[in-house]
Amino acid sequence: MSAMGNATNVFWHECAVGKLERQKLINQQGCVVWITGLSGSGKSTLACSLNRELHARGKLSYVLDGDNVRHGLNKNLGFSPEDRTENIRRVGEVAKLFAEAGLICIASLISPYRKDRDACRAMLTDANFIEVFMNMPLKVCEERDSKGLYKLARAGKIKGFTGIDDPYEPPLNCEIKIEQKNGVCPTPCDMAVQVVSYLDVNGFLHA
Amino acid sequence: MTSAGNFSSIFTSSGSDFINPSPTKLGFLNFPLTFPQRINTEPLRIFAPIKAIEGSRMQSVDVEVKSNGCVVMNDSDESNGLIVSESFGSMNVVWHKCSVEKSDRQEMLQQKGCVIWITGLSGSGKSTVACALTRVLHARGKLTYVLDGDNVRHGLNADLTFKPEDRAENIRRIGEVAKLFADAGVICIVSAISPYRKDRDSCRSMLPDGDFIEVFMDIPLCVCEARDPKGLYKLARAGKIKGFTGIDDPYEAPLNSELVLHQDGEVCPPPEAMAEKVISYLESKGYLQA
Repeated sequence: MSAMGNATNVFWHECAVGKLERQKLINQQGCVVWITGLSGSGKSTLACSLNRELHARGKLSYVLDGDNVRHGLNKNLGFSPEDRTENIRRVGEVAKLFAEAGLICIASLISPYRKDRDACRAMLTDANFIEVFMNMPLKVCEERDSKGLYKLARAGKIKGFTGIDDPYEPPLNCEIKIEQKNGVCPTPCDMAVQVVSYLDVNGFLHA
Repeated sequence: MTSAGNFSSIFTSSGSDFINPSPTKLGFLNFPLTFPQRINTEPLRIFAPIKAIEGSRMQSVDVEVKSNGCVVMNDSDESNGLIVSESFGSMNVVWHKCSVEKSDRQEMLQQKGCVIWITGLSGSGKSTVACALTRVLHARGKLTYVLDGDNVRHGLNADLTFKPEDRAENIRRIGEVAKLFADAGVICIVSAISPYRKDRDSCRSMLPDGDFIEVFMDIPLCVCEARDPKGLYKLARAGKIKGFTGIDDPYEAPLNSELVLHQDGEVCPPPEAMAEKVISYLESKGYLQA
């Protein structure tokens, strides 16, 4: 019948305390806010200001970003196309667990390929995947070059750098787009307010 | 790095001005603070973010304002706290806090994040105790989440088999996720056979001391096999499953777990009684309050 690794031997365990009960407890609805965009587009800045704004409103949120994921759960992954896909898949699965737990999980990753982001969207039911596109021009991101990576990429010292010699596929149907107004970038506060308003209007900030 | 000159322009304001550091420099929201009236001879120390750097933690800078008004910048690894000096009287200072820390979330939830790692043979009652534990904690207003080994194998770990190297990777990934939950302030209950001591110890080392609470379901194999809730022992004895823990793959019992749940003579206590033992432990160690 079954050799090692057969999924039919792995059962699903239900528990009396489910997502609805947890959501009632902390008065919010679990969801995933997926922030995507070029390096230097402001993803971490928004993740941080959003986290702060939600906390100030008494909401429980948690940021998953390159910092706490690539050095922990995903430390055995590199930057090959397959590993990039696996990196996004695992973050998506963890974000899903956090949303199940009732948290507002903020994932902040370049996540350049549309197929991978859409796969994460498909993991979540109930329209709880909120894609936020940091629509900042490459020129602006490169001028910031907060980690000096564009410079290295232009000098050919990093290969396959998104925006330089690896594609970024912008979302076609994201829930929120963050962009310049008359050539001026929004402040971190403005960006956070834009996302929080969306969450509020769509009922995520109460059970 | 923001220069001291920029900060000194903040502190020369007087009276009840709101001091509003440029959000594009510091990148965070403001909240007003009122200084205490009591005399405090300590210099004013404020922790400020420099800027959000993608993929890295916020950096903080220790800004020391001497009582003569001179502003001094020092590097600091600290990211929390705001000690204020009476020398500014009741002036309102608007400042940006660095980031939301684990302690902030714990304060909000009135609990401390941790990992309760329930290990034992198949059929020893891990999932049952995990559920009972979650019910009781929920009734006490605590936020918990169960990471069940089986459930995780349907999602995050769907690409893994039961070969030894995949078992190790299964446990490693569960450990890393549990660590994230604990950091979020959640009481994360892991329920997984996790048969190899090395793998469990590896997960223990991922967390701060005390935050990894190993619970050993010390139930004899014959009892587990008699239960056989999923019919797996029968299949294993018939040779239809290979490498089944307890039959033809080892279970390495913990040597120093925080809790051991076992039978009372021949009788197994009900799940709620076992859960209460874990809860008493959590209470005594302060995990059920901020």
